Amino acid sequence: MESIIALSELLGSPVVDANGGIRGRVREAVINRQEDPQRISGFLVKSRRGMRMLPPSRVHVVPGGGVMIRNDHPPEEWAEPVNSADDLHLDRDLLDQQIIDVNGRKVVRVNDVDLKLETVGNISNIRINEVDVGPRGAVRRLLKGLVPRGTIRTLVEKLAIKSIPFEFVNMIEVDPARRVRLKIQHDRLNDIHPAELADILEDLGSAQREAVFETLDEETAAETIEEIEDPKLQQSLMESLEHDHAADIVEEMDPDAAADLLAGLDSYHSVQILEEMEQAEREEVQELLEFDKNTAAGHMTTDYIAVPPDATCRTAIDALQKYEGGVETIGTVYVVGKDETLVGAVPLSKIAMSVPDEPLKPLMMDVLITCRMNSKEKDFAELFDKYNLTSLPVVDDKGKLAGIITADDVIGMLRDRV
Amino acid sequence: MNWKKFRTGFLLFLAVAGPGIITANVDNDAGGILTYSQAGAQYGYALLWTMIPTTIALIVVQEMCARMGAVTGKGLSDLIREEYGLRITFVMMFLLVVCNFGNVVCEFAGVAESLQLFDVSKYASVPVVAVFVWAMVVKGNYKTVEKLFLLASFFYITYIIAGVMAHPDWRLTMVRLVTTPPKSDFVGNEYIQTYVYDVIGVVGTTIAPWMQFYLQSSIVEKGVGPKQYKASRLDVIVGCIFTDVVAVFIIVACAATLYVNGIRDIKSASDAALALKPLAGQWAFILFSFGLLNASVFAASILPLSTAYTVCEGLGFESGVDKKFSEAPFFYWLYTGLIVAGALVVLIPNFPLIKVILFSQVLNGILLPFILIFMLMLINKHDLMGEHVNTKMFNLVAWTTVVVMNVLTLVLVYSYIRPKQ
Repeated sequence: MESIIALSELLGSPVVDANGGIRGRVREAVINRQEDPQRISGFLVKSRRGMRMLPPSRVHVVPGGGVMIRNDHPPEEWAEPVNSADDLHLDRDLLDQQIIDVNGRKVVRVNDVDLKLETVGNISNIRINEVDVGPRGAVRRLLKGLVPRGTIRTLVEKLAIKSIPFEFVNMIEVDPARRVRLKIQHDRLNDIHPAELADILEDLGSAQREAVFETLDEETAAETIEEIEDPKLQQSLMESLEHDHAADIVEEMDPDAAADLLAGLDSYHSVQILEEMEQAEREEVQELLEFDKNTAAGHMTTDYIAVPPDATCRTAIDALQKYEGGVETIGTVYVVGKDETLVGAVPLSKIAMSVPDEPLKPLMMDVLITCRMNSKEKDFAELFDKYNLTSLPVVDDKGKLAGIITADDVIGMLRDRV
Repeated sequence: MNWKKFRTGFLLFLAVAGPGIITANVDNDAGGILTYSQAGAQYGYALLWTMIPTTIALIVVQEMCARMGAVTGKGLSDLIREEYGLRITFVMMFLLVVCNFGNVVCEFAGVAESLQLFDVSKYASVPVVAVFVWAMVVKGNYKTVEKLFLLASFFYITYIIAGVMAHPDWRLTMVRLVTTPPKSDFVGNEYIQTYVYDVIGVVGTTIAPWMQFYLQSSIVEKGVGPKQYKASRLDVIVGCIFTDVVAVFIIVACAATLYVNGIRDIKSASDAALALKPLAGQWAFILFSFGLLNASVFAASILPLSTAYTVCEGLGFESGVDKKFSEAPFFYWLYTGLIVAGALVVLIPNFPLIKVILFSQVLNGILLPFILIFMLMLINKHDLMGEHVNTKMFNLVAWTTVVVMNVLTLVLVYSYIRPKQ
């Protein structure tokens, strides 16, 4: 026989002996995660002798609603509860807590847990089916004990179902030592878009936020931190990490964003993180750190694709294949001469439409729009608008290509002002 | 302390300042101003002794909220839900909505009253202010709104100026602030019962349930962590002291004018402003009335917003002004509903306004003890607060404060509902 029961119905339900006498009441459902991450391994039962642990056997649904557990052993024989740090206590760790709905990509609060109960003879098998985050669980728990069970059941049937299958739930638990662990059934966090991950992080409490952030792989973490809009939040997340881990993330970031981030950290952390970084990335970031934040130099990134003047489309495509910078910087290939003097720019689309052996020079844009390192925000933003640019090269006094500004950076900059 | 250290400290303070100052100031809303005006008109300088203990109580309670927000990164309703479950949270949120609704009504009544002093009909002023308040939060963003709120906090200075213009007896003010009340206030006072109720009224108006939720959420929203917490604590302390300084000036303004001239019976805050006019001059009248308008609009902006945030957090609905209407419908409906209904109630002719206000005061009083006790239990949870739990000494002070506040509040509730002789 198979049926669905709610955790809230199970909690507080009676444990009865052969004569129907109540010997205790269920206080907690425990999952031993090493055995099976979804199966309830036992109940904590409050008996007259204190808290006891019972296996989940002979659980019955009472006609008209509610659950009853039959146990013919006298309470003296019931086992003492064993505390294991790895156990999941459903009432304590799941009910009312915030979880990440990996499919819906947001943070929600747990109202109830739907359990699937199968009883064959003396053996009951209870598994977590879904986590209820909607009105059903809320109403059930609010009315519990105040309204007859049957009435609650019929009422709840009429409400909308809003629940998440347990495999799409990411739970975050804080243990008494304030170590936070992320309990992941399937690691789907890294598949969520970084912008949505940033929203999720903003909705969590600080300890939970740090725990989730720590589990992200470096690339996802780097993109996510770039998407977080509040600099204070960025800083506190970075400062919560080990310096070498933080350095790995900063290396993955766009050098421009990395420099802005490090500039905001207190000097102890930024120095430590810089020290842990690979030399090439460190030098890039350090160079950018010198510039005034509000000029073109402060907004540019040093990630771009550059080829020599005699290059062909093939050379450009080879360079593109080896390129590791962000996608927002690959729209244009820059042609640079001796001493990295900027000669011209070729849109990627033109290269894609040409044969590999065609030289790049004739494909260059007729007018090369550039700005100086000390250009003001207002001025280069105007260039983007006027010439419909997706990226803009920044040159120094000698005409050397110093970096590029990308459109997404300008949009972010303008949004900060309104 | 050297200059550089001072400068860094000061900059850090500016970065986190706001939540404490704003919360404490909103406390001097239309209802608060009325209470202080009455105290000054009725007793002159005699009730000033309550101000210092009140300030300490306010700081103790607010500091705990700020600390919980900074350490856990969660709002108070979040924590109550996580630690004590859905049902308690639901009942609390329900009571909070009802009593905050009463408070919103008070604020709109304050708007109507203060603008009536300048001959603006309430049928014009209340709808305009309601739309302004609604749009400011829905169309603005957190940073600009906070700046506006800080500006509004600054405008409370009008009460200080009005107080100075009333030429109070400064020596007596200082003496009455720091000395315990004379025995004759209690022994052989034939109006002892009214006196005690009025004292409790002055103390009780200081700590309201919604403040705890609002302060903690805005600390979280501001991104204050354990590291910035010291600066945040300063924000709370400065806010509480400024608020009570304003209260002192309201009391002495009324004491030096109304009390001295035998005008004892003040029914509303605008009564006080009107009575000030012939005694302290046109400017004092304008400053006093403008202060009332400012306070009412300010509180009318914060209360509905804070209520919507608190309820959504606790019950798990999407919330936040950065979300769209369709993403957080419950949040926006609750927010809009509180403003619209609150404004409408004030506009209904012959509506029993006083009863609504009294009712919400009673609910405030019933709710407050529960919230304070939950706060104390939460802040002493080691798994939540780690090393930031209360020290033994602080617990002694905090529990004393909470017990005293609770007893006073319950007596106040009784005074509202007791049969009138």
